[in-house]
Amino acid sequence: MRRSTVPLLQLGIVLTSLLAWEGASLTALLDPRLLPPPSVVLPTIWHLLSDEVFLRHLAVTSWEVAVAIVIATPLGAAIGLALAESPYLGRAFRPFFHFLAAVPKSIFLPVFILLFGIGFEQKVAFGVFQALFVIVIATGAAVAGVPADLLRLARAYGATKWQTWAEIQWHAMLPLLLEGLRLGMIFNITGVIFAEMYVARLGLGQRLATWGQSFQMPELFAGILIAAGLSIAVNEALRALERRMARWRPT
Amino acid sequence: MTETRTTMEALRMDGAQPVAAGQDLAHRRSNAAAAEIEVKALTHRYAGAEGPILALQDVSLSVPSGHFVGLVGPSGCGKSSLLMMLAGLVTPSEGSISIMGRPVLGPAPERVGVVFQEASLLPWRTALDNVAFPLKLRGVPRAEREARATELLALVGLAGFERRYPHELSGGMKQRVAIARGFCQDPPVLLMDEPFAALDEQTRMTLGDELLRIWDRQRKTVVFVTHSLTEAVYLCDEVVVLSARPGRVLERIAIDLPRPRTWEVMASAAFGELRERIWRLIRTTP
Repeated sequence: MRRSTVPLLQLGIVLTSLLAWEGASLTALLDPRLLPPPSVVLPTIWHLLSDEVFLRHLAVTSWEVAVAIVIATPLGAAIGLALAESPYLGRAFRPFFHFLAAVPKSIFLPVFILLFGIGFEQKVAFGVFQALFVIVIATGAAVAGVPADLLRLARAYGATKWQTWAEIQWHAMLPLLLEGLRLGMIFNITGVIFAEMYVARLGLGQRLATWGQSFQMPELFAGILIAAGLSIAVNEALRALERRMARWRPT
Repeated sequence: MTETRTTMEALRMDGAQPVAAGQDLAHRRSNAAAAEIEVKALTHRYAGAEGPILALQDVSLSVPSGHFVGLVGPSGCGKSSLLMMLAGLVTPSEGSISIMGRPVLGPAPERVGVVFQEASLLPWRTALDNVAFPLKLRGVPRAEREARATELLALVGLAGFERRYPHELSGGMKQRVAIARGFCQDPPVLLMDEPFAALDEQTRMTLGDELLRIWDRQRKTVVFVTHSLTEAVYLCDEVVVLSARPGRVLERIAIDLPRPRTWEVMASAAFGELRERIWRLIRTTP
């Protein structure tokens, strides 16, 4: 496939889906009360984004997500580094992290409510909890992935511990660390919104849950599209950063 | 050129070594003809799955200044280990190594340059920055180290490739960059651990010639590990033949072929005889 025509094709896919959705709704193939057409949903997005109350909800969620990742990233990286630096601790603790990573963390939500209440702190704590594992595991993989021959080279040329870190380890680890950060961010957003849907006074998740329960379908779908759009934007921004920081990698 | 030379002398004096730099230089001058590398009664064991394994046994060796010495022997004879010990990267179990009259207790980059079998280039650095890497570690200002690295890249035939990243270079080019890096600090001793082993025959021959050409201009004491007997005879002044594990020095064979050498020498009877002699030594020892 010629590269230049791919974006056109993708635009076509989006437009066709929207048209099919519109058509299905208009011809009552799908119940428009359950699935309102894009001609209703898309203006609702605009309406919501100019509504101060909704923006406050959105701001609360964004703030929770931001604080959670700011806590989870250094914490996860520190745990990952500690486990990698000490073979003893690493061997002892690593299985637990891998086991816990396999457990659906949503089952712990009631515990978080008991521990942290139903406000801001609980959402942040749950976001950190969700994101932490993948960051710890990615950091461990990043340390293990530092090429041994480059470490030997640094040693042969008399690099200090700090120089070895700045010249070798940091660069070698960065792509995997950013990958961990990106995946952690996805888990974090999932966790925060899920916690809000479960119980909250404010936030995007709280809005979605409320609209669903009160059958406000245009708002619900508009909210879903906004949440999806923002998550994609964050993910793509981090991917762009990954590409930028690792231009030296063969493509 | 004169300017660079002065810079490099200054560089060597910058090296924060226990022995004062001036003393070091004086020592070098007085010792110019004497052995530059002295290995005495070196024995090495390492821990294996079923107890300690004797890798090298009572190896003694002295390499005169400016000599090109090859280390050959069967696979696993410890020739690479010996080189890593010369580089200060592995501590021998018994015996001593000294380079330029000072014991080797760890890596000594201002005395010793190392070129590894894998080019070991930093993938996130350009060819130029890779060559300049040892100078960067020692805090040489950017302009100065880049001038030096540019000069060396030209010397190994890579002028114009300064801004390329390793993944944009062929295997042979990467190894050229690694060789340039080995020369970068202008160390008196260069240790090479099968630097051409991963290359195809043609590239290997070309690089061997290039190495000799550079070495003719910048005489260094070279210890060159290889498993190619042709390469060993072609490049070296002397070939040290090690036995199968535990590695012992079987024989030291002087290669008295005239220099500068060109590929025609390989067709000569003397070349064939030397190569044959080494081969017989390696083959007949258990």
